[in-house]
Amino acid sequence: MSHEKNVCICRCEEVTEGEILRAIEEGARTVKGIKIRTQATMGLCQGRTCRRLIVNILSKHVDINDISKLEIGIRVPVRTIKIKNFIYDEGKGYE
Amino acid sequence: MGEEIIKKSQVVVIGAGPAGLCAAIEARKAGATVLVLDENDRPGGQLFKQIHKFFGSGKHWAGLRGFRIGENLLKEAGQLGVKILLNAEVYGIFDDMTVGYIRNGVEKAIKGERIIIATGGIENALPFPGGTLPGVMGAGGVQTMVNIHRVLPGKKILMVGSGNVGVIVSYQLMQAGAEVVGIVEAAGRVRAYEVHLNKIKRAGVPIYTSHVVKEAIGKDEVEGAIIARVDDNLNIIEGSEKHLDVDCLCIAVGLNPQIELPYIAGCKFSYIPERGGYIPVFDENMETSVKGIYVAGDVAGIEEASIAMEEGRLAGIACAGSLGLYDKETEEKLKKEVKKILRAMRTKHDSRIIHSLTGIPSNDRFEKGPVAVIECKEEIPCNPCESACVFGAIKVGEPITNPPVLFEEKCTGCGRCIPKCPGMAIFLIHKNYTDKTSLIKFPYEYLPVPEKGGLVSCVNRNGEIISRGRIIDIKASKKDDGTKIIAMEIPKEYFNDVRGIQIRGDGI
Repeated sequence: MSHEKNVCICRCEEVTEGEILRAIEEGARTVKGIKIRTQATMGLCQGRTCRRLIVNILSKHVDINDISKLEIGIRVPVRTIKIKNFIYDEGKGYE
Repeated sequence: MGEEIIKKSQVVVIGAGPAGLCAAIEARKAGATVLVLDENDRPGGQLFKQIHKFFGSGKHWAGLRGFRIGENLLKEAGQLGVKILLNAEVYGIFDDMTVGYIRNGVEKAIKGERIIIATGGIENALPFPGGTLPGVMGAGGVQTMVNIHRVLPGKKILMVGSGNVGVIVSYQLMQAGAEVVGIVEAAGRVRAYEVHLNKIKRAGVPIYTSHVVKEAIGKDEVEGAIIARVDDNLNIIEGSEKHLDVDCLCIAVGLNPQIELPYIAGCKFSYIPERGGYIPVFDENMETSVKGIYVAGDVAGIEEASIAMEEGRLAGIACAGSLGLYDKETEEKLKKEVKKILRAMRTKHDSRIIHSLTGIPSNDRFEKGPVAVIECKEEIPCNPCESACVFGAIKVGEPITNPPVLFEEKCTGCGRCIPKCPGMAIFLIHKNYTDKTSLIKFPYEYLPVPEKGGLVSCVNRNGEIISRGRIIDIKASKKDDGTKIIAMEIPKEYFNDVRGIQIRGDGI
């Protein structure tokens, strides 16, 4: 991997490797810690591309063997779907 | 879940790729009601992008092209009455074994007594400067463009990663008419099977081991790439940079399991880097730590499609067994068969072990007449060559990872084995074709096909032009599914060196 600090890690939210390293310097030790500082993993793809890259960067600072300690932030819905698909209208059924 | 009454199926399979389809087929065979959900508009997963012939056991469709295996699986599933729901995006699995999905903009749910998650893998990203430029794309995307939509992503391509995917996609890109400018590999050696690599080398593609992409260059799209040599710690060695004129970078640096669904279902995980990272823990039935939820295929650790299919079968049989659709004895017997195949396919492949070439005829045999030359010495789980030979001149035996052995005295030089080798590693050589020339027959899958009687440039194993040859005959049998067998007359001195013809430039 290249070590240029301005390499893009999270494409959806345009977060660079430098920003993620800074978040770790500030004390982030989990994916969630990085997410709330940088917005990485919060874009359209919901971390499907960058989550693994972030875990790789984290691996230099924390033990990554136990996934439950990383707060990797996978939750329902696991696909990018429209909120309106969940809204049920008595008269019209689903939108 | 709205007002809708939740439907039920004994087995719900998520993902209609090789693992999911095989799981569904096995569960259905036992009599279970089975529903397969897939988010794509066609089933088959990655199989329909695979236009190359698969390795494997002759009994299990080895030697067939991937998409043919997909066609066979769909046919079998259809005959058995497996229901496949397409464009169904599964967004969650809930406590009571309910699977939620969206289809045609409508939220739906199905409850399964057993759930088999076969969601496959997702490609690893590779961050580097310029890596977000249009023209940098994943190997899976490239395969979709080239093999499904028949669109070339570029004319001059740099392949990043030398695993089987990188090397196979390189070959497919050349078949489609692109130039593969090189393959870059950070490790000190190529990771793909040697027979796959040899196809690329014969085409003259440079392989840059201990190299990385330093940067993709371009304003609005890729106009070039800078690669550089790295030391053992993967640090770039300054001054080793090299500019390559390319318009597309194809990234093939591995996959990782798509674990979202097992994760939200509460499965336990372990971290196994060589299988792609976090992997749900599963038992010998492919059942996860959550009772009733099974995994199969790449989601259970990145391996090959042939292994995904067997894992799917195992999960399907185990589900059926646990539902009481098989008696214990039948279940165990069926599982044992699948496990035996899985074990054979997983027999540790270690390409550092160089076997002596057991498929090469002796000098005496070359003098006597046409004979097969099998340039396959790696431990690959593959044996179609064995069943191709009706004279019993080729033996692989068990385990299936044995390299083939040629019994030269039994070989009649018929050449039936040539198109059967998925690795295109079998040649037929008639050394004393005339006083001054030899005849070589080799498999060929590029376009244009050279003309009968025409003169061509002959290449050695490294793709270097070493001689001229004359095309004597071209055999294109429907049975061989696109693989042509070219018979070419060459100067006798090169009988052991020529292994193909130049595929681009002024060769043909």
